[in-house]
Amino acid sequence: MTPMDKVLGKLNLTPAGILGLVILAVLPFIPPFNQEYMIRWLISATLIAAGAIAFDFTAGFINIVNFGFYAILGLGGYTSAILAVNYGLTPWIGVLCGAVTAGLLGLLVGLLTLRLRGIFAAVMAWFVGLALMGLATKMVWLTRGPLGLRTPRLFETASNIPYYYIMLLLMLFIYLICSWVTSSKVGIAFKAIGQNMDAARTSGINPTYYRILNFTLSCTLAGLLGGFYAHYYGILTPDIMHTAKTVEVLAVAYIGGRGSLWGGAAIAFPFILAMELVRSGLSNLPGLNLIIYGLLLIFVMIYYPGGFAKFFNTYIRHPKNRAMNYFLNGSTARA
Amino acid sequence: MPERFLSWLKSAAGITILLTLFLAAYATIDRGPYILVNTAITGGMLALVAIGLALLLGVMNVASFVHGEYFMIGTLAAYYVFTPLNAYLTENPSPFLTNAAPLIAILSAAAVGAAAGALTEILVFAPMRRRSRENWVMNSFLLTVGLAVVLINAHLLIFGADFKGIVRYWPGRPFTIMDVFISRDRLFAFLISIIVILVFWLFMKMTRTGRAIRAVSQDETGSLMVGINLTGILIFTMALGCSLAAVAGASLLFLYPSYPTVGLEALYMAWFIVILVGLGNIIGALTGGFMVALLKVLTVEYIGSGWDFVVPTALIIIVLIFKPSGIFGSEVRGALEK
Repeated sequence: MTPMDKVLGKLNLTPAGILGLVILAVLPFIPPFNQEYMIRWLISATLIAAGAIAFDFTAGFINIVNFGFYAILGLGGYTSAILAVNYGLTPWIGVLCGAVTAGLLGLLVGLLTLRLRGIFAAVMAWFVGLALMGLATKMVWLTRGPLGLRTPRLFETASNIPYYYIMLLLMLFIYLICSWVTSSKVGIAFKAIGQNMDAARTSGINPTYYRILNFTLSCTLAGLLGGFYAHYYGILTPDIMHTAKTVEVLAVAYIGGRGSLWGGAAIAFPFILAMELVRSGLSNLPGLNLIIYGLLLIFVMIYYPGGFAKFFNTYIRHPKNRAMNYFLNGSTARA
Repeated sequence: MPERFLSWLKSAAGITILLTLFLAAYATIDRGPYILVNTAITGGMLALVAIGLALLLGVMNVASFVHGEYFMIGTLAAYYVFTPLNAYLTENPSPFLTNAAPLIAILSAAAVGAAAGALTEILVFAPMRRRSRENWVMNSFLLTVGLAVVLINAHLLIFGADFKGIVRYWPGRPFTIMDVFISRDRLFAFLISIIVILVFWLFMKMTRTGRAIRAVSQDETGSLMVGINLTGILIFTMALGCSLAAVAGASLLFLYPSYPTVGLEALYMAWFIVILVGLGNIIGALTGGFMVALLKVLTVEYIGSGWDFVVPTALIIIVLIFKPSGIFGSEVRGALEK
């Protein structure tokens, strides 16, 4: 076991994962991805991938569906944007304020609903999301409503490549945080709560405490993402809080594999590309890409609840070849 | 009896209903009787959608996110039945058919809604139930999310994004009640909702099937033991719940033209009612429909439209803090657990 392997093991990354990140990192220089609109597409795919990780952190572990995920993400974005526009705060601090605000809202929603059955949290988060969207539309003096709030961008350049790397780093950061928490003692408690709440309670775990902890952390990460997205996109409209966006992340997270964290991120890039091709290729058939989304979600939910991650773990992850095995599992591989 | 009544008055349900009546009376005196009329019409329809949702929650344990889409299917079916009928009528006038055409449209919408509901149960929920009942509530909720996406976009793909609406169902002069002009459509919509709720109520209380549905909602295993055909009941319940939403959509076609996301508001309101009164409580859903309708009308009247997403959320927060089981409490407590 080399020191490199130790570091990788600590970070919950495998050589295959590193290779994936390297490919993503060089992608903006390889045709056909080196055009501006492809880079913009890559950024939005990264946003969804990072969102899917933070979403899966709640959905896959404590089995709570945060149905207001994008509303909370949008709250982070709006907080940062309003601080920057009205008080001239630099976006680099603003995004942190946005994350804190989003986390506080997550904490409030969690305190209210997470002592109840899971469906309450889902519906309540949905209601809060709708209310936030209504507020963002109606409080025109603050958010400029549907006209959109112009946000200062993070970098002075017109190129989108720095933003892509920022989002990619953010995705890695979110993955590292989530996987670090879930592989710690707290993560075991999360899994126990998600699988069997009564058994967890019998073992001395306070479900409400851990659920609120998880939900708050997930919302904070969403707020952080939202802040960076706002300062990349340059204009913020209440549409960012729409439930349809949450459904997109939800579908990616579940098709990728619940409880795996990396599944959603891995599947997001090819999946979003395929959807984009369907959408632009068959523009005379509007909505077809979303129908495929919905049908895939239904099929995965019914027939293969583990999603892509389970498929990968079952059929691909344990090859006979030792080098391949090391590549896919790192030095912690079990035969 | 008076003592029981007094203790009921002191319960959360009594206080809320009294408060609602007081609010309604105050607003009626303050702004005029049209508030009451609007509340009654919206309330009847909201109650229909919410009753369907509560039925699915109570009997099937399905927290449906797709219920608004059956409302949408109802509007769509009514539009495609009523428009040709209306075109035929302009060429061959017939007084009887003029009055019957809207009813035909609404009834066919009910049938289409029921068929869609039964298909949903057979194609989506039954396979899911056969495979795993672990985490059923969350998984079925996600299934309905997927289904909602599919149905909304199927509408977009097949029928397009434009508004498919009608000017009116019943021609003729509006009625005047308490100095308020009420169009015939609105009055009939209210009557239809009352009749449907009554029939539904009698059906649940008086027939064997209704009793079987209530038995399943209380105890699924027990109902299997006494020989209830569970598969059939589940299909029937789903069809019934969806058909109620479709009737609401069809009766309100003159207000809400059919377009892909028309069901979203109905869904949101129905969920709001169901959380407010207690999950799976059907009588509560009926009362809650009118209470929420009043709240909606008052919000639009006093604060302005656009805030009708904010005020209910604030109210829900209060309810969740003080009485998480809902104002009326759920009789089928525990139905949602596992």
